[in-house]
Amino acid sequence: MNEVVVPFRAGTENPCSAGTALYGEILEFLYREAALLDDGRYSEWLGLFAEDIQYVMPVRTTQFRTRGAGFQDISFFDENINSLTTRVQRLQTNAAWAETPPSRTRHFVTNVLAQPAAQASEYAVTTNFMITRTRSDQDYQLFTGQREDTLRRLARGEYRIARRRILVDQTVITGTNLSILF
Amino acid sequence: MSSGSRVKSKRSGNGSRHLAATRLSNGEYLEAIVRPAEGLISRRIFADPEVYNMELERIFGKAWFFIGHESEIPKPGDIVARQCGVDPVIFVRDASGTVRAFLNSCRHRGMRICRTDRDNATTLRCPYHGWSYSTSGELLAASSEHHYGEGELDKSRLGLIPVARLGSYRGLVFGSWDAGAPTLETWLGDMRWYMDIIFGRTGEIEFVGVPQVWEVECAWKFATDNFTDNFHVYWAHQSLVELGMLPSDPDFASHGTMVTLGNGHILHFVHGPPMDAFQGMGLPKSLWPRFKEKLNTGQAHIAQTHGYSAGTMWPNFHWLQLVTAGDTRSEPVGILNLRLEIPLSPTRTRMYSWFAIDKDAPAEYREASYKTYVRTFGPGGIFDQDDMENWEECTAAARGPAAKRYTLHHRMGLRRARDASWPGPGISYVDSYGEMTQRAWYAEWLRRMQSSSSARLDRAGRAKAAP
Repeated sequence: MNEVVVPFRAGTENPCSAGTALYGEILEFLYREAALLDDGRYSEWLGLFAEDIQYVMPVRTTQFRTRGAGFQDISFFDENINSLTTRVQRLQTNAAWAETPPSRTRHFVTNVLAQPAAQASEYAVTTNFMITRTRSDQDYQLFTGQREDTLRRLARGEYRIARRRILVDQTVITGTNLSILF
Repeated sequence: MSSGSRVKSKRSGNGSRHLAATRLSNGEYLEAIVRPAEGLISRRIFADPEVYNMELERIFGKAWFFIGHESEIPKPGDIVARQCGVDPVIFVRDASGTVRAFLNSCRHRGMRICRTDRDNATTLRCPYHGWSYSTSGELLAASSEHHYGEGELDKSRLGLIPVARLGSYRGLVFGSWDAGAPTLETWLGDMRWYMDIIFGRTGEIEFVGVPQVWEVECAWKFATDNFTDNFHVYWAHQSLVELGMLPSDPDFASHGTMVTLGNGHILHFVHGPPMDAFQGMGLPKSLWPRFKEKLNTGQAHIAQTHGYSAGTMWPNFHWLQLVTAGDTRSEPVGILNLRLEIPLSPTRTRMYSWFAIDKDAPAEYREASYKTYVRTFGPGGIFDQDDMENWEECTAAARGPAAKRYTLHHRMGLRRARDASWPGPGISYVDSYGEMTQRAWYAEWLRRMQSSSSARLDRAGRAKAAP
């Protein structure tokens, strides 16, 4: 289960393949999203999500290749718009000690591949992410993996994230907690 | 008390009890710097490599430890990689359906055999030289057997190393590496009465899926200490008070009972706000009649009238029974969370967090309980994540030689009144803000850490010269 969709199919026309205007819009949207997170502009970040957002980070396990990628039904995150909103409100209380004082994060988003999704005006976008979290006087913590997003295009350059699956590489999260956003 | 430790004690003529003292390399005695009866616990015992190395042998090599729940390996051949204490084990249901646990290490060269988190298999084969074992641990085949001479390979004596003692209570499987440890029933003692409330209130409990696992740069005891602490909630989770997800009364979690039992087991039950959602362990009303069917009168009363509970099966396995909303707009719902801390070093701990639920819970409740759990507990939980910050910072500040000269403060409720109306066993205390349970936990820790040595202590913990 949970096989990763590889968007590229040789010989087919992809309206959002690398180099197209659509691809450029998507790329810029993702970069702007990452900048909002790294700048701590969480309310604006929250505005990028559709009301029906499903934001999930499944727990991963080590499995033999024949048994799949190891993602499980239990998750680290299983969020809707209300719970994402609560997370953002919490970060803004000044009493959310895991992020008060705040960590410094750097979201690196690469390997962007996009293709039209099943719904009109929606795009299935896979990216690799690498996030560094630097906290207090400590060395940085590293989070890596892949995101599978469904982006809904509202207007030229304007998107909403309708679905996000965060597929971490780690089976054991070595970074203290998941108080940052992905 | 259990017979699993090597504490030597004797009664002298005047009746005072003398315990063997444990001397650290700096000349201090553990008994002098860890004084549970007075609520004074030295910071030295948290991040100190010498104390940690003693713990590995005297606690992690001897006590009973939670390994897993039977519902995690439902079918013959189901395998989960776990730990017993700090040693890696294969937690397996063998071909005949018996639950077993073996050191996850080949008898030949010590290679780790089970190298995935979970699997289903008929045999366990070591990838190094191909030694193969049955799921019940027998060595079926070594490699290149015809190259062994007469008497060089006795397969009947080379089965996987079993956990020395294995026991199960209400589906929870515990193991000990001490063949002389008391039985699980003896060791749990009256804790079983309370485990019945949590794990037997409506029938069976099941662990759902895999645990969340993560690592925190903290001494394991700071995490353990936190699971019996009610009065941190208002402060450590202040953000949720501000969001209206916790009551704004700083005393809100004090309306309960704390209980200490033999062998270091501790627990509390706390009343939630006077609303239906916080009665009956937060379970749906349709399940409340089960309490009287499955529990005795006292247990059923406790289940019916409480929403929150935490218990520690000494030293590092905990239940957390809570009622909370997952976000600012949702209704509160019950969650049952199981926790285990496994130290990796004096200052690093691996955390396990399971979601569990009553098997007969309706599907709608199950879904709501699960989502609420994920949103509030575990490494991403909006409650839990702030605790880890505290444990790390407590640990960081306990490393230095100056800090190690000082104690922590665990003196709340030294003269706390007993709860005369409490229907359960153990010593019960009124008011669930107090450090009675932590003191009982550290008393057991100290007892386990004591070994035979030439020095002896009097009852007040003063070291006396050997006769």
